[in-house]
Amino acid sequence: MSASASPITENTDYRPKAIDSPWKTAWRRFARNRLAVIGTIIIALMFLICFIGPFLSPYGVLDYSLKDKNLSPNTSYWLGTDKLGRDILLRMMLAGRISLLVGLVATIISVIIGCSLGAFAGFYGKKVDTVIMRVADIFMALPSLPILIIMGVVLSDLGVEPNQRIWFLMLIIGVLNWTTIARLVRGQMLTLREQEFMQATEALGLKDRRKIFRHLLPNTIPVIIVTATLGVAGAILSESALSFLGVGVIPPTPSWGNMISAANNLIDFGKRPWLWIPPGMCILITTVAINLIGDGLRDAMDPKTKK
Amino acid sequence: MKQYIIRRLLQMIPTLIGISIIIFTISALVPGDYITARDNPNMTAERAAELRSIYGLDKPEYQRYFIWAGNMLVGNFGTSLQHKLPVTEVIGEYVWNSFIIAFFAMILSWTIAVIAGVFSAKFQYSLLDKLITLAVFICMSLPSFFIGLLLIKWFALDLKLLPVGGMTTAGLKGGTWTYIWDVVEHSILPIVVLTMLSIGGLARYFRTSMLEVIRQDYIRTARAKGLKERTVIFKHAFRNAMIPAITLLGFELPGLFGGAMIMEQIFAWPGIGHVYLNSINMRDYPFMLGFTIFLALLTLLGNLLADVLYGIADPRIRLK
Amino acid sequence: MTKKWSLMLVFVLALTLVLSACGDKKESNNSNNSNNSNSNQESGLIKASDLSKNPDQAKNRKDTFIIGMTDPKGIFNPLFMETAYDFYVVYSTFDTLITYKADGSYENSLADKVEVSEDNLTYTYTLKDAKFVDGTPVTSKDYLFTWKAILDPSYDGDIDGLSANIVGAKEYREGTASEISGIKIIDDRKFSVTVSEYTALTPVDLGFVFIMPEGYYGKDYKQGSLESIKALNSEPVGSGQFKVTSYKAGQEIVLEANEDYFRGAPSIKNLIFKTTTDSTNLAMLQSGETDMNNIVVSEDNVEALKAMGFMDINILPNNGYGYVAFNHDHEILSDVKVRQALTYGLNRAEIVEGIYGPYADVINIPQSKVSWAYTEEDINTFDFDTEKAKSLLDEAGWKVGADGIREKDGKKLKLNFSATANNPVVDALLPIMTLNYKELGIDLTAETLEFNAIMDKKTKGDYDMFFAAWGLTPDPDNTIFISDGAQNDFGYSNPEVDKLMAEGKKELDVEKRKAIYKKMYQLINEDAVFIYMYQRTNMEAYNARAQGFDISPYKDFPFSLYQVQLEQ
Repeated sequence: MSASASPITENTDYRPKAIDSPWKTAWRRFARNRLAVIGTIIIALMFLICFIGPFLSPYGVLDYSLKDKNLSPNTSYWLGTDKLGRDILLRMMLAGRISLLVGLVATIISVIIGCSLGAFAGFYGKKVDTVIMRVADIFMALPSLPILIIMGVVLSDLGVEPNQRIWFLMLIIGVLNWTTIARLVRGQMLTLREQEFMQATEALGLKDRRKIFRHLLPNTIPVIIVTATLGVAGAILSESALSFLGVGVIPPTPSWGNMISAANNLIDFGKRPWLWIPPGMCILITTVAINLIGDGLRDAMDPKTKK
Repeated sequence: MKQYIIRRLLQMIPTLIGISIIIFTISALVPGDYITARDNPNMTAERAAELRSIYGLDKPEYQRYFIWAGNMLVGNFGTSLQHKLPVTEVIGEYVWNSFIIAFFAMILSWTIAVIAGVFSAKFQYSLLDKLITLAVFICMSLPSFFIGLLLIKWFALDLKLLPVGGMTTAGLKGGTWTYIWDVVEHSILPIVVLTMLSIGGLARYFRTSMLEVIRQDYIRTARAKGLKERTVIFKHAFRNAMIPAITLLGFELPGLFGGAMIMEQIFAWPGIGHVYLNSINMRDYPFMLGFTIFLALLTLLGNLLADVLYGIADPRIRLK
Repeated sequence: MTKKWSLMLVFVLALTLVLSACGDKKESNNSNNSNNSNSNQESGLIKASDLSKNPDQAKNRKDTFIIGMTDPKGIFNPLFMETAYDFYVVYSTFDTLITYKADGSYENSLADKVEVSEDNLTYTYTLKDAKFVDGTPVTSKDYLFTWKAILDPSYDGDIDGLSANIVGAKEYREGTASEISGIKIIDDRKFSVTVSEYTALTPVDLGFVFIMPEGYYGKDYKQGSLESIKALNSEPVGSGQFKVTSYKAGQEIVLEANEDYFRGAPSIKNLIFKTTTDSTNLAMLQSGETDMNNIVVSEDNVEALKAMGFMDINILPNNGYGYVAFNHDHEILSDVKVRQALTYGLNRAEIVEGIYGPYADVINIPQSKVSWAYTEEDINTFDFDTEKAKSLLDEAGWKVGADGIREKDGKKLKLNFSATANNPVVDALLPIMTLNYKELGIDLTAETLEFNAIMDKKTKGDYDMFFAAWGLTPDPDNTIFISDGAQNDFGYSNPEVDKLMAEGKKELDVEKRKAIYKKMYQLINEDAVFIYMYQRTNMEAYNARAQGFDISPYKDFPFSLYQVQLEQ
């Protein structure tokens, strides 16, 4: 007998290659996209800094010191102070908590509402479509300012704590902004509905719900992602405008938006850049990171990407 | 198609009625009225009551609604409490100033966004793509008043190239051409800022759309056929990518006439946006309601336009 | 993009419009004013330091003066004007019988002579020889016509015509009479007005009326309808220093000197009011696009203006004050000891100093420091004293509980505080107040609300404490502190104060009025009706190539435009 040839059945080294689920493939592709990973790291860091950072600061949330007002960055105040002598670094971190939450939660709300309504409208068409689209029209035509003012008053009347009001703010921003996503999803639905793979699902006799959520929506994800990522930046920026009118984030609670708007005059602009550069950079970095993640997600989920 | 349009126009009627009821309810719920907003320390209680009765503010809400709605149907938008002029006249005084800026900003931003989006998609992952993406991000991430002030500081104060604000130079003498050139000079900065604001979203959108289309099989076919890359991109990919974008054109309609509140504040531009904002702050309801309905109407028409354009552009869509 | 809607929500300082509209309504003030120099406010005129820095654009405008201001509503009509900016145009184009002097007292303007009858009920006016800008002379008929418009049944403007008590006014307002019996025309330039009862304000009610030409405004006027007059709102014809030649809504108002002005033609040939906004008004002064503007007082702004070198800066006390109101019907706040404790326990000086620096003062009575009625005698200044505040609260029965919050009869000392969003003081007020009151053992919930929302709460009495600012009534007489007064939304009531307020209104002798109001302010101070926060300053800055302004807290800049000279 020469070299032993083992029967194939005993060759335990052979392992059949598992076929990855689409999600796993997407995940792997995402992980290989360097920029997307960087984006994720940045966001994670941002969350970390903003939520944990304040505990490490020597200053308290309510601390102010008028004799230290308007100082440029130095050893005791790393990013300088504002006009009440409050530490900018601490405020920036606290503001981050608010702004990040507002951006994310509001967008999530509008995506959930928008996707569902848009999908139903696009899929069922006819009466359902008409009603939903007209409702969307109404929402689009509503003036947000008076609504927010009323909300501010109602919350005040109900005795809601100023810190809790932020959740209502997120809710309202989300609810007032679902229409864009709904329209886009609906548009996509109208196109995809006519494609061959949908005829296949019809032939298979799939239930409507399955068709919408397992076949059609996943194909609209790229569009949703782009809109959602734009939405987060938009929500963070709208928050800054609203804070001014007393219907957004109420001072002294800081948000990136109200920190920038506090420096909104040519003098602070020129003389005291440490007031607006930190929050401005934060918004910029956050937006860039979110968009990188969004890009990465879209590339990862698109079955036609060769990478 | 015609049937569709007519049906949509008919549907607008209940929608508008619904909007009018909601808006009116909101205005009734919002605290304060024109008298409280004036906060005049000299006002006696009798005078306040007298005024409220003259303005019709003392009637119960539902009555006020029907009076107002009835007037609106015949085109009477009411009289602005602040301006003491018919609402339509006030709108007419300011809206064209806003339109000029919005219109040119729209043309500029669409042009730049299309170019940026197309090139960004064509040369995905290249340096050009990254640079454009970065520029777009920066435009998108900063509040508008911020960009406005920055530009004023650089171009008006430091370089003294452009005026600080307003639509015209006070006391300017000269003929029509001097006037037109004056307005152009004053409008450059506002238009630039407005453009920068819109480019972000648009460019990203076009890029995504382009990327989707470029990966389609028929593009592969076109290339395989040996067509010039230029033809592939502009004749095939571009046209198909623009289809969803057409929808966006419809949405621009209300923006053209709605005014840009921040811009007008920063540049002292005599637009309708800040007049609208004032009317909300001062509870000038006739104006606030009238203008909101005007914009609602434009929004509805814009939506209709977007849907119709989509139907025309994409033959796969059947509008029923 | 639809996002435009939410993105365009504004950082408009539209509130400035409202706050300024509050602060600039001055109509009547009587007699001598004692210039109280106890204020540690920096105020007065700061002259330009280096005229060579004047930008060419401004220097070369030899015959035109450009004033920047927030855009008016286009209502250049004394009957219907509402905002401060419309006032400015009206002040520049119309005249009154009597007008302000710098110290707040009055002098004759269009009136050549004013005779008062023995019983103080009849005033006889003789007009100077003056013309309206359309060439027609100013006559008694025009004065009568102006009153007809004010007393018209459909009049919806600000002037409270009936409070002047002119005989026959009520009948005209109700429509039962077609003439005003109390106004008698004696000849073209002489007429008399009879009132049914007089107060210290009567000479001003009758004399500070902008005279409008009947020939121009009254052409289609019929009792009961003022539409024909309103139609001319943006095309005024008056007898004043300038006449309006063109108006572009939201942009500018162009005026020309009135050659026939009764005080002599203004030396400025062309006057332009140009629309500016708070974000760029300084920049426009710097580039020379405008010559003059009202700039918010802050250390930064004053420094910037001084640095320009070619601006004259006039800093004057503002006729108004910021205050924290108490709801006197609230069970905790109805106790005067608690109110006093809250006043002692708030570090007002730090707040005011922190925001305005030397440009605002803490005040303790609701009156301007430069008013003749102002007093500091026996006024408690409630200097910041936490210990005193604590002991007062103890006296009132509020003892510190286990959790650090005071309680009495099982109830916690919990208060709600609302402040108007985006007032610079509020940024400092909220954190400092929260901290100060925490020390005292008070559980304070602080929030900011939109201006109108707070005003609405105020009218409904639905609040514990709130912060707001408003303008002073020109005369010490007001309805804020009297029981059930029209402006008394605070539930405050003190019969002594009611008595004094009524006395002061009837008294015609200034010295006697001074004494009456002194007593009244002392009572109001003791009762700790409000926590008075500050009296700030106003700043008018103008290009030093213009000289001759006579500006005071009572005499606003338009009144002296006719005497201003431009450097040639």
